[in-house]
Amino acid sequence: MTSGTIAASIAEVDEDGALAEVRKALDAGTDPLVLVEALREGMSTVGERFEAREYFLPELILSAEIFKQAISLIEPHLGEAGRPSGGAVVIGTVQGDVHDIGKNIVATMLRCAGYDVRDLGTDVPPGVFVDTAKETGAALVALSGLLTVAFDSMKATVEAFADAGMRDSVKIIIGGGPVNEMVLGFCGADAYGRDPSEAIALAERFLG
Amino acid sequence: MKITKKIYAKDTMTSEERLQAAINLQVPDRVPVCPRIYYFAAKYAGVDNADLYDPATWNEAIDKCFRELGPWDIINPWGFYHIEVISLIFPMKLLVPGLTLPRDSILQFLEEEIMEFEDYEWIMKICRQTPSLSFLRLVMKWEPKIWSQVPKGWKGYAYIMPRLLDHLITWRKEFKQWAAKGVTPLSGAGVEAAFDSFSMARGLVNFSRDLKQHPDVIARAAEAMTPGNLYLIKSAQPILGIKRAAIALHRSSNDFISPDTFRKLSLPSLKDLVERLKAEGMSSHLHCDGNWDLNFEALRELPAGCVVVELDGTSDIFKAKEIIGDRICISGDVPASLLALGSVSEVDEYCHRLIEEVGKGGGFILTAGCEVAPNAKPENVKAMLESVVKYGYYDRATAYKAAATGA
Repeated sequence: MTSGTIAASIAEVDEDGALAEVRKALDAGTDPLVLVEALREGMSTVGERFEAREYFLPELILSAEIFKQAISLIEPHLGEAGRPSGGAVVIGTVQGDVHDIGKNIVATMLRCAGYDVRDLGTDVPPGVFVDTAKETGAALVALSGLLTVAFDSMKATVEAFADAGMRDSVKIIIGGGPVNEMVLGFCGADAYGRDPSEAIALAERFLG
Repeated sequence: MKITKKIYAKDTMTSEERLQAAINLQVPDRVPVCPRIYYFAAKYAGVDNADLYDPATWNEAIDKCFRELGPWDIINPWGFYHIEVISLIFPMKLLVPGLTLPRDSILQFLEEEIMEFEDYEWIMKICRQTPSLSFLRLVMKWEPKIWSQVPKGWKGYAYIMPRLLDHLITWRKEFKQWAAKGVTPLSGAGVEAAFDSFSMARGLVNFSRDLKQHPDVIARAAEAMTPGNLYLIKSAQPILGIKRAAIALHRSSNDFISPDTFRKLSLPSLKDLVERLKAEGMSSHLHCDGNWDLNFEALRELPAGCVVVELDGTSDIFKAKEIIGDRICISGDVPASLLALGSVSEVDEYCHRLIEEVGKGGGFILTAGCEVAPNAKPENVKAMLESVVKYGYYDRATAYKAAATGA
């Protein structure tokens, strides 16, 4: 069965195999939503194996690449039914920091989980997070940072949401190399994740 | 260079003797301390980070830290005065304060490809042709991809070599100045470990693909690099006068790779380099960024008594002591977040625990995790440095007796 093969190929991080199966299924007229579900199933298995420390960063990165390529093949076949079913999430690396590896993986995994992700890139000023959350109606904002100077930017971003009167309506999560409980307390965010799997779990907790 | 001045009146060893004792897994008079300060010095001295590329400004800034927050035993040679020389060690495109970033920003690396997949085979070829010069040939291929001002071909060597030499000579002068204060350098010349430099130069997406599809090619190219890395370190050693080599491992932690990948693809070339350095009478100072918890067991394969593993606050340093403490000196690991956000009593408490547990029986250097955070509180840095005086003196007779009886 093609969708099962696609899910299995992604779970095994078989880039060529997964993409070939997606093309084959599209040519055969398979329902694109079935294929999207297969991608999610495969990515979910990758996440489980990452949590079990069977997989590490290279597998996460490669599976995210496979997902991005596969979804770009499928998207032209998706109509309105293909729109994200989850809530909106705004994500970005905070001002003063250009690191984006972790942020990109989390953004892809959130998309894969069905969230409508607005990725603002890197070095994002607090006001841009606030404006984008307003524009999209996002109830979750994810801040990333690898540098210790990012702590101040994270705090400033949380404060910008408070100043805009949005702190009660928006949950803010943080992540990145040096982020821990102490940084969470300093920034005043709602939660922090140590890896992409935890970020997805937090999104599910806050957005359902 | 000879160091005679003691750091504290109660000391019975010089800083050099103290550091060497720790590396050799002996019990020094007290725990040695190295703050690992770079950007923090700029903030503390009231200059921009971009100003640190001027040797006089860097030396004034770090000296102010030493006078007002120190003293300390060990200085890390981090002054970089020609930006292109950084890329000899870290093969990645950069955003630089004062050039492509605001003057008070910190240097940041960009995850872009500067090494093509075909370069693995090319590396193996040049390592066969000119093993000693392979490091230089490789980085000189990459330099023009990172910096537009570095010409390709022999003109690139003419551009880089005087700047590299200028660094070495300046560092030698600085080492002498520190020696007069009783302070010893952490290490002399250094390289990024071969596996890790490929990861940085390829970019993580490409390298992840290489790991999946061509692991054997990575391993062979990394192993081929050892003579070139060794040659660079050996060539700089007579100028710098320090028989301690720095080896950076930015991409071998379990944040990046599995313990199995580390053991099969990263460790062999690392072990080869460390063993060859040992044969030259040199120790290896491994800068281990990220979480190494699952790699500790494999590090036991490295020769005993000549390696320092420096942890950045992400690994479980107490677990490291249990697993590798009988073979490897451990250095670390006051976390950046603690120095930036914690209180003096929290820093003091953590340093006390490090000294008591990781410092037990010697083989320990107290340092900040990776480096002192640029936004660290000065009073926290002072508390870290003072903790070795408060808690770090060993009762050497008791320690040796305990070691002899296995207590």
